[in-house]
Amino acid sequence: MKENLKPGAILLIVTAIAGCLLGWAYSITKEPIAQQAIKANNEAMREILPMADQFNKLDAAIPDGSIVKEVNEGKKGNDVVGYAIKVTPKGYGGMIEMMVGISTDGKVSGIKILSHSETPGLGANAPSKEFSGQYKDKAINPPLEVVKGTASKPNQIQAITGATITSKAVTKGVNEAINFYTSNLKGGSK
Amino acid sequence: MKVALERLKNGIFKENPIFVQVLAMCPTLAVTTSATNGIGMGLATTAVLVASNIAISIIRKLIPSKIRIPAYIVVIASFVTLIQFLLQGFVPGLYKSLGIFIPLIVVNCVILGRAEAYASKNGVFASMFDGLGMGLGFALSLTILGTIRELLGTGKVFGFQVMPMSYKPAIIMILAPGAFFTLGILMALINLYRIKNAKDGEAPKLVEPGCAGCGLCGKCDSK
Amino acid sequence: MRIFIILFSAILINNFVLSRFLGICSFLGVSKKTETAFGMGLAVTFVMALASIISYVVYHFILVPLDIKYLYTVAFILVIAALVQFVEMVIQKTSPALYKALGIYLPLITTNCAVLAVAVINMNENYNFIESIANGVGAALGYFLAIVLLAGIRERIDNNESMPLALKGFPISLITAGLMSIAFLGFQGLIK
Repeated sequence: MKENLKPGAILLIVTAIAGCLLGWAYSITKEPIAQQAIKANNEAMREILPMADQFNKLDAAIPDGSIVKEVNEGKKGNDVVGYAIKVTPKGYGGMIEMMVGISTDGKVSGIKILSHSETPGLGANAPSKEFSGQYKDKAINPPLEVVKGTASKPNQIQAITGATITSKAVTKGVNEAINFYTSNLKGGSK
Repeated sequence: MKVALERLKNGIFKENPIFVQVLAMCPTLAVTTSATNGIGMGLATTAVLVASNIAISIIRKLIPSKIRIPAYIVVIASFVTLIQFLLQGFVPGLYKSLGIFIPLIVVNCVILGRAEAYASKNGVFASMFDGLGMGLGFALSLTILGTIRELLGTGKVFGFQVMPMSYKPAIIMILAPGAFFTLGILMALINLYRIKNAKDGEAPKLVEPGCAGCGLCGKCDSK
Repeated sequence: MRIFIILFSAILINNFVLSRFLGICSFLGVSKKTETAFGMGLAVTFVMALASIISYVVYHFILVPLDIKYLYTVAFILVIAALVQFVEMVIQKTSPALYKALGIYLPLITTNCAVLAVAVINMNENYNFIESIANGVGAALGYFLAIVLLAGIRERIDNNESMPLALKGFPISLITAGLMSIAFLGFQGLIK
């Protein structure tokens, strides 16, 4: 047993030093990492609610287990012009993190996919203008649905070829954001 | 200086980790969906490889051989975490597209293999260049694979349209099967080259998945 | 229901080897004979199920309370290395028969990226305890399926005399794996 003590102790020291150094590195890089996330968030919000010039994060009561993660209101001057709602539906390869913009006149003002792990070449095309752009200016009622082939009704979204699951997941995210808006935000918090 | 050059050449050509030693197949196949991803993964791995080679070469005399593998793993894992912080903070786009393969650099056979086969026996300077050479060899190979797959799969290279617009991209090349096909065909071409250049009467050495270079894989040979 | 979806999607749809490219080194290296592939598959299944349990415990009861989540890479790899050592010792002492079957494969597993990956995926996807185990077992069975299938095919084609020398061995294994991967793409339609 004794001859195992020294190597054990050395291993412990190596691990402790590594842990300390990483802790230090973490404290230094924490700030830039957080900044990056905020920057990406802000850019996304500006993109999907272009009419707003100021955003505030709301302390909305989000039910447990909901895919809604964050609610921001967009203001122009003193008027609330819309909401940017972050949702995380489950796609084909994992969680899709996206921001949905809903304007107070009852339209989806745009969506922006922040991160995803969908299949390159198929589902990974979701952030493209051809797919994500379809959501712009859709009415929030009736709920959106995905179709294969050309969309014929106003509430239909054309699926990405070979990536129906991804398309449905994104649409589910948008619909959940709309639901949250109609039941919790609409009319209130002026 | 001569050592440095020799090490660089060794890593990039003579003992290229992918095309000669055939190591680290997971990241090779997984992240080469585009040339940019290939180069990004290659450089991230190079950074870890250089840093871990230097660190291990420095502490090589302090570590009893009994615990060297866990100690190396701790050193490598720490550098991987560090790279992860840096990518997340400064190159978030690449961080997202490499995803789970960043933490998995830890189990990249090339890194532990170099620690065991070179850095634990040689000085700091030589180890640094050994890491750099191997890393660049790895990065170069990934970039080649990424370029081929991106070109055939999307008609682009580094995101720029190269093929004429009339070219219909073969999407399968950037899906999972395309990775296997591309590497399989490249490996067959290497074999072809070796067969052509084999001396008369001597059997050519064909590519085989490498295990010998890796400390923990050493027991592969016993079967 | 959710458990079954996770389990089956890990086995067939997001097959660890053929669509996520995890555990490729041993997939190509230890698949010459069905017999060894079977042993390797069994050992990986065993370790992966244990690793999902133990990494879940380490993450949720050590890293999260201490607020050092960022150390997960270091913690997981150490836990897996220790686990493999421990399993090897226990099996050796308690069941010589099992040790004979799995023993030589166990040391190969520490650097099998699939084991570390399953721990990281469980963490990223926020799976709860049961879901983590389902994902771990599913991923392992997917690996098992893929390696045994490949070994079965390789046994038949490796002795083929008419195959060009340049393709023999490694290149043709890669191409075989590619064809298998296409077949597994077909399972995508299973989940709605």
